[in-house]
Amino acid sequence: MSKRAAAPWILMTPFLAIFGVFFIYPVVRALTLSCEQTFGAGHSEFIGLANFRRLADDPLFWKALRNTTIFTLGSVLVQLPLALLLALLLETPGLRGRRIFRVLLFSPAMVGVAFAAVIFAVVFEKRTGVLNRVLHSMIGLDLDYAWLQDHVMGAMIVAALWMYTGFNMVFFSAALQNVRTDVVEAATIDGAGPWSRFVHVIVPAIRPVAGFVVLLSVIGSFQLFELPYLMLNTTAGPDNRGLTVVMYLYQAGFETGDLGYASAIGWMLTILLVAIAGVQRWLARAEGVHS
Amino acid sequence: MSPQPASPSAPSIISAIPPGGWLIAVLAALSMAAIGFWPSPPTRDRTMWTFAQPHYVMYGPIIDRWNAANSPTIDLTMLGLVPMERRMLASFMSGTRSADLLEVERRIAARAFTGPLDAVGFVDLTDRLKAEGLLEQINAPSFSPWTSRGRIFGLPHDVHPVMLGYRSDLVEAAGIDVRQIETWDDFARVMKPLMKDADGDGQPDRYLLNMWETHDDHLEVLLLQAGGRFFDDSDRPIIDSETNARVLATIVSWCNGPDRIAADAPDFTASGNKLKSDGYVVCTFMPDWMCDVWRHELPGLAGKVKLMPLPAWEKGGRRASVWGGTMLGIPRTAARTPAELDSLFAFAKHLYCSKDLAQELFRNGRIITPVKSHWSDPVFDEPDPYLGGQKPGRMYIDLASAVPARTSSPYNTLARFRMLDALVKLSEEARRTGTFDRAALTERAMHYLKDAQHQVLLQVDNNVFLRPPQGAEAPGE
Repeated sequence: MSKRAAAPWILMTPFLAIFGVFFIYPVVRALTLSCEQTFGAGHSEFIGLANFRRLADDPLFWKALRNTTIFTLGSVLVQLPLALLLALLLETPGLRGRRIFRVLLFSPAMVGVAFAAVIFAVVFEKRTGVLNRVLHSMIGLDLDYAWLQDHVMGAMIVAALWMYTGFNMVFFSAALQNVRTDVVEAATIDGAGPWSRFVHVIVPAIRPVAGFVVLLSVIGSFQLFELPYLMLNTTAGPDNRGLTVVMYLYQAGFETGDLGYASAIGWMLTILLVAIAGVQRWLARAEGVHS
Repeated sequence: MSPQPASPSAPSIISAIPPGGWLIAVLAALSMAAIGFWPSPPTRDRTMWTFAQPHYVMYGPIIDRWNAANSPTIDLTMLGLVPMERRMLASFMSGTRSADLLEVERRIAARAFTGPLDAVGFVDLTDRLKAEGLLEQINAPSFSPWTSRGRIFGLPHDVHPVMLGYRSDLVEAAGIDVRQIETWDDFARVMKPLMKDADGDGQPDRYLLNMWETHDDHLEVLLLQAGGRFFDDSDRPIIDSETNARVLATIVSWCNGPDRIAADAPDFTASGNKLKSDGYVVCTFMPDWMCDVWRHELPGLAGKVKLMPLPAWEKGGRRASVWGGTMLGIPRTAARTPAELDSLFAFAKHLYCSKDLAQELFRNGRIITPVKSHWSDPVFDEPDPYLGGQKPGRMYIDLASAVPARTSSPYNTLARFRMLDALVKLSEEARRTGTFDRAALTERAMHYLKDAQHQVLLQVDNNVFLRPPQGAEAPGE
């Protein structure tokens, strides 16, 4: 190999070394680990696809998947429309204090998950929690009503709503600012009302950003861990009602010590997210062709 | 020929630096100087990690005295519980060195017992403990959480007997004599007058026991006291036992229905402390260390709290349980030669078995030592003004031998949570169907416990090192 041909490889060597050690090796090791049964320090046994077969029959895995899906649906179906609505309100021409509202709505995203989890754990507390106190004085709700026992995922969705609605609103705001005003004005002149303008002009214009935000929310929601972990005092809550896929992975790997099974859960999650991203891309492409 | 650019003179460079740049440069210079001249602690031969701030404070003077006269010298470091667990496991898995002495909590230590005995990351201390007579000198149940397959991997730090802490101001004002209470049934009957509906909303404003169906610690305290267990002596799950079912049924009847006596005032939280201060609950499970927690977190209750032994499940039954536990272990990576092990064990024994520490543990943490020869020390007979002048040291020591033995199974946490799931399901079924009869609940509890047993077995049976010998029938199946 000539010096000239070798030069790029030499220059890329540091990157390739780091990439190999910190990305390629862990991925390959996680793959082999998912086919092993691990027993404490340094002992494992190759068991083929048994961990994946076990996943199929594991009620806790399915419960974790169901809980995570509920949270994801809550995020996508409640949080994102609300974020879009707030963005539309903030982009209303002539609105005063737009920047202040934007900062106020975005600020929960800056405080960190741990902070939000502590706040909401206090809010949803039995007997002494703010929510129960308010509802008790307003409608006589039982002070001992256990939100974090009977409505765990609902409580998580509300906490995430507070944290991330403003964050997603910023994406929608940016997209709305890029909608061509002449097109909107033309539609108005042609007699289109607000709803028609929204459906036929604004939504098509912000669709790429909306698709990106949906995908980001879905991936983020499927990776849910810190919020329930901290809100439920490092447990999965009563009867595992706050158990998410990543939390189950953590429990299997770091509490039960079964790293092989934890890796299998990780791979299932990866496959699921890749599939969702694939479907999203396919839908976006189909929409593009249709338009 | 183009003119040569004039090279910048020194004053022009200085004047080109903005004031902010100067500020950053000065701060950087000061930081470097501070780092350079900061007095570094003297280098020690060996390191010990602990996870508890009170331990760190108590051990300091003892270790200083050791370092002044002995070798190896020890450097004590405090780590959070989770970082310590991560580092310990990473060290055990990779065979690399972490600390030379690890003080670990029960749940973390159990993580080391997953594989074959010869791969446990801690040094097996059994023969050494026998040879030095420590098995006889230390309270026997204190060894159980650190004993796997008959081998002992740590020196016990404590006993942690559980008593019942009660609001003596409320109980005595109601004219109740707690000496009448021998069993849990007595407890409910004798204390019942304290459950009053002061605001007339149809709900009692005070409950007798701080306990809830979602707290795994409370479940384990009651279960162990009743003689229930998660695992048998060979670490096989025995979750679906009659005793466990009876405990679950009783807890459900305490938390729901006409015989409800329990309410939730969570420990270690501001809201829970407020409820305790308000007298929402009369009694709380009180391991020895909890006395110190209350002393610091609930100073307003000084003189209003007293201790009594746990009511037994049946007449003549066990009046104590156990909650928490810590050990000092020596990682294999730290003791590569017999001489290294000798020196580390000498320090471990000095620290944990010293009279100084026994006194410190009790004075500052209300923790009683597991070393039986120290139990006659006058410190344990000192009255505690916080506890109404009672002598908590002597009271806890009197119960030390009654503390139930515990499992060291690495699947203990899993079993606890699966059993807690069973408890929550049973409780919800009781509320849904209005069934609060204990006999009926016990039958249903068994149904849920069988499911929990199955789930734990799925995990345990995958571990070839914990499988029963071929041909042996697994208990509970």
